[in-house]
Amino acid sequence: MIVEGEYTFSGPRDVVWELLQDPEVLSKAMPGAARLALVGDGAYEGSIRVGVGPVTAAEWKLAVTLQDRDPPAHYVMQVDSKGPIGFTRGSASVDLAETDGGCTLMRYRADLQVGGKVAGIGQRLIDQVAKMMTHRGLDALSNELRARLAEEA
Amino acid sequence: MKPAPFEYHRPTTVEEAVDLLGRHGYDAKLLAGGQSLIPTMNFRLAQPAVLIDLNRVEELDFLREEEGGIRMGAMTRQRAAERSGLVGRGAPLLAETLPWVAHPQIRNRGTIGGSIAHADPAAEIPAVMLALDARFTLRSSGGTRAVPAEEFFTGLFGTSLEPEEILTEIEIPRPAPGSGWAFAEVSRRHGDYALAGVAAAVVLDGSGRCSGARITLLSVGEGPALATEAAGVLVGTEPSEDVVRAAAEAVGRGIDPPADIHATAEYRRHLAEVLTRRVLPRALERARASAGA
Repeated sequence: MIVEGEYTFSGPRDVVWELLQDPEVLSKAMPGAARLALVGDGAYEGSIRVGVGPVTAAEWKLAVTLQDRDPPAHYVMQVDSKGPIGFTRGSASVDLAETDGGCTLMRYRADLQVGGKVAGIGQRLIDQVAKMMTHRGLDALSNELRARLAEEA
Repeated sequence: MKPAPFEYHRPTTVEEAVDLLGRHGYDAKLLAGGQSLIPTMNFRLAQPAVLIDLNRVEELDFLREEEGGIRMGAMTRQRAAERSGLVGRGAPLLAETLPWVAHPQIRNRGTIGGSIAHADPAAEIPAVMLALDARFTLRSSGGTRAVPAEEFFTGLFGTSLEPEEILTEIEIPRPAPGSGWAFAEVSRRHGDYALAGVAAAVVLDGSGRCSGARITLLSVGEGPALATEAAGVLVGTEPSEDVVRAAAEAVGRGIDPPADIHATAEYRRHLAEVLTRRVLPRALERARASAGA
């Protein structure tokens, strides 16, 4: 499954970059009381609870590794997660570009494999769930950015 | 294929059901027809600790005509609504759509309220309720409130139902004079989840001018979607073929459909446009007949 899109953050690129590396910020941006901890250089581990509609929320173990880092413009995120009803793994490439008015344009493209029971039964909903989680996560990051900039000002 | 253990309650009144739900809230699931919930439980994707079975709550199974339109209980079986002359006269769009919902065996058990509360993005009934501007009564031990369909559906399987609330009644307003309606969907096989579907309810005045339009879509977003831009294209015009085509294009512009193994996003968008071009002329034809224009 490919999830791709663009998102504009109203803040400078180096601040956005910092947010994207901060495990505390990232866990706030993920749904369902996520926990995430830095376990090595560019390596994170944690868990999230995900449930959609009738599906009871379940805990997924999550490992994220950042590669090909070129601060503050580009990185690739390797994602590996396992839950009681399936798994996802794959990579997401993230590019940050400065735009007019001190904003930052993020371009992302993730190529994810989803397997297990959730893929067998929930196939028709996976794309929609991925989109929803991406949009909510980016909105949460954007709010965090605004809060941080307001603090500094 | 057996569900995880759960506590089972079978209330016989709404009051009892509301009381049980108030006690168990987040841990409980309401069982209506069970055509979505039970398979989900059997796959153990859903593992509610408590199941509250509404099938013996007789006061939730009724269908009647009122001054303003039709009122039905949430436990009305889909098949009962489909075969009801009252629905045929008072909500012909719903009557036309119900045969598209899964298969007769499923509609014998599946309920109107269950489908609304489940809010599956591929379901026909939520989209039709949105097109008909229906209102839902939600009840908890704290009281009762009425919510229009437009505010009720809030995203992927999302509704404005609180954990302690039960959807009890559905009100469908009587169609205005000059009303026309139509529904169509495309699925791989009849009864499968639709790749895309369109419901339309339009109103023409005596001179053939469109005075109201509600076009809704299913299977192309997080939930049932109201195509407001497309409706805006119709309203105020004497809808010609060109206007219908422009409305269909507006439908395509207004959606961001999902992709899966059954259809790409582009194909779904194409289907939504084609279905709009099929549905609108039929709805307008019926409206003209009804308006006598």
